[in-house]
Amino acid sequence: MTTADTAAAPRARGPLALARRAVLYAVLALAALAILVPFLWMVSASLKRNNDVFTIPIQWIPQDFQWGNFTEIWTRVPLDTYLGNTVFLSLVITFLQVLTGSFAAYGFAKVRFRGRDTLFMLYIATIAVPWQAYMIPQYIMMQKAELTDTFLSLILIQAFGAFGVFLMRQYYLTIPDELCEAARVDGLSEYGIWARIMLPLSKPALASLALLTFVNTWNDYMGPFIYLTSNDLWTIQLGLRSFVGQYDADYAMMMTGSVLSVLPIMIIFLLGQRHFIQGIASSGMKG
Amino acid sequence: MKRRKMLAAVGLAMAVALPLAACGSGGDEAESGPVELTVAVWSLASTPEFQTLFDAFHQANPDITIKPVDILAADYPTKVTTMLAGGDTTDVITMKTLADYVRFAGRGQLKDVSSLATSADAGKLAGLDQYKQDGDKYYALPYRQDFWVLYYNKKMFDAAGQPYPTNLTWDQYVELAKKLTSGTGEKKVYGAYQHTWRSIVQAISAAQTGGDQLSGDYKFLADQYRTALALQEAGATLDFGTAVTQKTGYASMFESGKTAMLPMGTWYIAKILSEKKKGSTDADWAIAPLPQRTGASGITTFGAPTAFAVNKKAKHAAAAEKFVQFAASAAGAKAIAGIGVVPAYSSDEIRQQYFALPGMPTDDLSKKAFTPDKINPEMPVSDKTAKVDTILNEEHQLIMTKQKSIDDAIKEMETRVKNEVN
Amino acid sequence: MADLLTATPATASAAPPPRARDRRRARRNTLIGWSFILPNFLGFAVLTLVPVLAAFALSFMEWDSYNPPEWVGLDNFERLLNDESTKIALRNTAYYALGHVPLTMLAALGLALLLNRKIAGVGFFRAAAFFPYITSMVAVAIVWNMLFNPEFGPVNQFLQFLGVDSPPGWTTSTTWAMPAVILTSVWRDMGYYMVLFLAGLQAIPVEQYEAAKVDGASTWQRFRAVTLPGLRPVTFLVLVLLTVQSFKVFDLIVVMTDGGPGRATLVLSQQIYRRGIVEGEFGYASAISFVLFLLVLVFTLVQFWINNRRERR
Repeated sequence: MTTADTAAAPRARGPLALARRAVLYAVLALAALAILVPFLWMVSASLKRNNDVFTIPIQWIPQDFQWGNFTEIWTRVPLDTYLGNTVFLSLVITFLQVLTGSFAAYGFAKVRFRGRDTLFMLYIATIAVPWQAYMIPQYIMMQKAELTDTFLSLILIQAFGAFGVFLMRQYYLTIPDELCEAARVDGLSEYGIWARIMLPLSKPALASLALLTFVNTWNDYMGPFIYLTSNDLWTIQLGLRSFVGQYDADYAMMMTGSVLSVLPIMIIFLLGQRHFIQGIASSGMKG
Repeated sequence: MKRRKMLAAVGLAMAVALPLAACGSGGDEAESGPVELTVAVWSLASTPEFQTLFDAFHQANPDITIKPVDILAADYPTKVTTMLAGGDTTDVITMKTLADYVRFAGRGQLKDVSSLATSADAGKLAGLDQYKQDGDKYYALPYRQDFWVLYYNKKMFDAAGQPYPTNLTWDQYVELAKKLTSGTGEKKVYGAYQHTWRSIVQAISAAQTGGDQLSGDYKFLADQYRTALALQEAGATLDFGTAVTQKTGYASMFESGKTAMLPMGTWYIAKILSEKKKGSTDADWAIAPLPQRTGASGITTFGAPTAFAVNKKAKHAAAAEKFVQFAASAAGAKAIAGIGVVPAYSSDEIRQQYFALPGMPTDDLSKKAFTPDKINPEMPVSDKTAKVDTILNEEHQLIMTKQKSIDDAIKEMETRVKNEVN
Repeated sequence: MADLLTATPATASAAPPPRARDRRRARRNTLIGWSFILPNFLGFAVLTLVPVLAAFALSFMEWDSYNPPEWVGLDNFERLLNDESTKIALRNTAYYALGHVPLTMLAALGLALLLNRKIAGVGFFRAAAFFPYITSMVAVAIVWNMLFNPEFGPVNQFLQFLGVDSPPGWTTSTTWAMPAVILTSVWRDMGYYMVLFLAGLQAIPVEQYEAAKVDGASTWQRFRAVTLPGLRPVTFLVLVLLTVQSFKVFDLIVVMTDGGPGRATLVLSQQIYRRGIVEGEFGYASAISFVLFLLVLVFTLVQFWINNRRERR
């Protein structure tokens, strides 16, 4: 079950290997189906009338398909505006987080100086404080700076998180110090090492950081809810929750919107995951 | 050690400086010319009463335009708390619950509007008393007053050959529900649907027995819990655990004909009227008074008002007061009654207008249900309300999921309220 | 706070401090190090660190979010010791973390190993594993609650098929609600951490596996000797992130059980939210977060220390 199997697989081509492969696919397909059940419910709910969403027992296939939900949602809420805002925020925050995170991570992983680890612990420690605890002081600061109800407030709060620094530092630790030493001997500056050696070598890590940051920003609800008041600044998650009223909710519309909001993430994921193919990092390291 | 002290001092200084620095501008009383008034509301798109009120107000005051601040209903208090903490200058704040109102008023975040509350018109405002603070001060005026009635599906009663629910006691209600229950699996229809909120048991028994939900003595709840459990054990209502975990909507239960009776607040009238108009339900509905305790005279139910308040840091305080007064006046009541919302301002004229709405049932029973003899508050208001509410809700779940007996849970409520609420 | 941290084994890091013999080089390194860290640190310090420190200061005060706070010393902490709901929330949070952390870790690592191969359609399977994380939380709660339904849920039907007489009531039972929540959250989070492990596996040079193979190491031996040590920094990352995430769990519980039935799944973040936002006692809520923070800090430091000792070996 280790990665070494991968390297061996193409060579062994007997009936046994074929059978093993068939079993593997069967297991994977079954697991995938089991994992996707709630998603299937989401799709099914998005094609129902609101009153038919919560039937007991669950009705998996809608009685009559409400394909109209997928056109109606665009007129019920300004979904295109929400989508645009979410794409903008997710891209900017992801870009800044990856850039400043990987940059700072180099300082934490490959430069030795006094107080480095203390500072690092400070970073990790703040991740442990729940947002509910400091949400109001943070908001008051933002209000003082007159930044509430702007994209900038959200970008500033989320782009400089400790998460990216922590993640990148851990991956840089796996890259041997000898590589940096060799580069230093060759006369490369520290910034040059970061740009020319570390960045290319850490592609899988950068991909995973970008992916996870993007997804987290895309799905964030509380941050945009507190900081973005004007309707034309709303993100898709706020748009989805706007179908919840004081006493009731339009779950069919919510699920329609959720299905639509998952699609872009799926594309990003399928593009990003290609960087997780065994061998890229190692072949780079031979040089 | 020195450094630690310094850090503590810095943190402290910041914490102290934050709220002070958040002070915004006060309201300007003498204003003329066009004004843009900001009003914080929840889920504007799915709560048509707000836009209706805004339009009516703008028509009466053409120089004041209203800009709604749309906040999601589910987390409305969180956002308003945060905004006000930051010194936000939104002019009018809608008070979604009385508990929120008490908190905002207690912190001094709302403007005193006592003068409006003592005017002649205000005498007709149902639920106004509940906003009284510190003896004789008011910081908000109600514009809406909902109370609980029994919705029923006429077709299902006719099919089962049962008479419509006039003058029911709770025992009769349970028996009736059993008779109206039929089918199994996907075809199952229930005689009654009791939603999962604690009010359906606790506020009803408090209102009808005169018990006080803040008192710390909860024996008055026992009868109503026996009723609720009897209904559940007979299979005449959807079981509580399933309703909670599957997020069952009372509206879809009633509108899809899954239940014959539904005790619910009057806010549901506007919703069902609009669903019928859209054609998304064919439920043939009417309302009846809430069932009563055996031997009780008159109809006692419970209700909760909704109000507008003026932010103390409002940019346009004078215009804001004008709006709050308008919403609570006959003119405001007329506007929202026109879309099926029950206004706090009550008069015969408004009632007549209300029953003239297209699609509204006009039988005598429905009219009787609309004029109960007594509407008690859903929950008494004090600074302890939020805490007691949490405790009562937690024990409610334990009784309804049968994790605890009624008596044990009531004892637990009493001890917890004594220990945890000062 | 800085003292608190330096007093710990955190200083004993993988990289020994530079010797004093070259002071100028040390100073230069400090400058270079800070120049890397500064762009991120500035944003972090102003927007996260300052509010966090303010929250800590507030834990010694009484504050209603609006009027000036009042110093009350250790009152909030004293109250915390007598607040039964907070104690229950603390216990539940620990219970949740103890289940969620190891199970998610194993599931994520297993998935990553399974899907770290060049087979057709691997992208689809990886996406499938990641899907629970991006599926709407409401959908997750509804479907899992349905699966766990005591009467007609498939889980209990299966248990009855296996011969279990009285299968658990899951989310409607005070005893079984937490296991149900843990299982759901493991299912939801495993794809997220799989992504981290997948990226970590890429950093292990193929040559090491080949060398081990030449030496005649079995699959299991290769896993022990090559994969696990190669993944150590990533494992540490996942462990810390998972611990933090477990202790801060909020959304899933709110949607799935809202702390119920009764207080069976009430967790600390919910308690902080209720005492703070709902009941308006922000000083006390800050004190609870302070306790939560200390708990996580202890866990993290222990992990940091173990990790560093292993790395030096």
